[in-house]
Amino acid sequence: METRQLSARMTAAWPWISTVARLGLAAVFLTAGLLKVDNLAASGRAVNAYRLFSYDTAKVIGALQPFLEIALGILLLIGLAVRLSAAIAAVLLVLFIAGIVSAWARGLQIDCGCFSKGGDLAAGRTAEYGREVLRDAGFLILAGILLVKPRTRFSLDGLLMGER
Amino acid sequence: MSKAQRDRAAARKIVEQQKAAAKRRKVTMWTSVAVVAVLVIAGLIGFTVYANQSKTTASKAVTPSVAVDNGTAFAVGTGPVTVDLYEDFMCPICHQFELDSGATIKQLVADKKVTVRYHMVAILDDRSQGTKYSTRAAGAAAEAAQEGKFQEYFDVLYANQPEENSTGLSDAKLIDLGKSVGLGDTFAKAVNDKTYDAWVATVTDTFSARGFTGTPTIVVNGKQVVGPNNTLATHDQLAKAVEAAEG
Repeated sequence: METRQLSARMTAAWPWISTVARLGLAAVFLTAGLLKVDNLAASGRAVNAYRLFSYDTAKVIGALQPFLEIALGILLLIGLAVRLSAAIAAVLLVLFIAGIVSAWARGLQIDCGCFSKGGDLAAGRTAEYGREVLRDAGFLILAGILLVKPRTRFSLDGLLMGER
Repeated sequence: MSKAQRDRAAARKIVEQQKAAAKRRKVTMWTSVAVVAVLVIAGLIGFTVYANQSKTTASKAVTPSVAVDNGTAFAVGTGPVTVDLYEDFMCPICHQFELDSGATIKQLVADKKVTVRYHMVAILDDRSQGTKYSTRAAGAAAEAAQEGKFQEYFDVLYANQPEENSTGLSDAKLIDLGKSVGLGDTFAKAVNDKTYDAWVATVTDTFSARGFTGTPTIVVNGKQVVGPNNTLATHDQLAKAVEAAEG
């Protein structure tokens, strides 16, 4: 009897938990994109600092990334195709984590450029890869919640499905 | 309720459920299409903005006639060993480097051992509260170079380096410092007109294209010089690298 009550309560709570996850993830992507979009050259240099692509490729990635982050942030904010949006967010986050780990493994001394224009660290400053990876992993959990429970309150999805 | 009525009610319910499921599928499909479309459009906007910015920079860039190395650097000295220095006027470590190695470099130049090529890049434009101090300072230095006063102006800018994340020196201050080393109205006009500011972006681009990502970057005859554990090279290490390059 008690477990059934608990599960009923969880059923009622999930859309709210997912709503928080959705809005949180939206804020993350909007912030990350807006901080970079005013200086695309710098964003390109931040990608270049990972030394994974040729500079020409890095420049294009650096230019597109903030726009995609902002678009994804808006999609999550309004709640359109939440499961798909969350899946795309998760893929991006996995790529970001992979990039940071690879920089870490190669012993590069860079700023991840996650919420800034990044680049090489000045001498005397140490990279904070562990913290950066943990933070992105936290965001990945938000995306994971939405993948499993994509139904949220105040979403365009809900409106279109005719839910209240 | 008769059995027939019950059957009909059940059938109606199944039809309704199917309709609802069909609607959900339809909504899911179209919202997914919309999401992909939004991301593709965002990507296209990004690419267009990027392409336009690159084109504007390229068309506006005025290369100083005295610049060497494909018009990206200013040469000081006439020695056989080439020392390339990539520095940003806003970068505190560059200031530190100049304090430590400046005298050594000047001595090497005076002894006609090295040709120093100064590449003044602007990677710290977002550390001056939107005033783009790195670009403005490098643009002003380009005009100083045109008038044969690069080294003097370079020195006075580092001696008066503003705090990182401050608004940087104003254009008026840049002009004043120019006056202090003998630069006059032509210089003031170039600073106010931002004659070389767009060109600074091409210098920065060349720096990145060469695979460098931080300032100061010190390169002696094509070989980057760093201290142990990726620290800043000291004047001793720089002098040794020049000696080694002399062979």
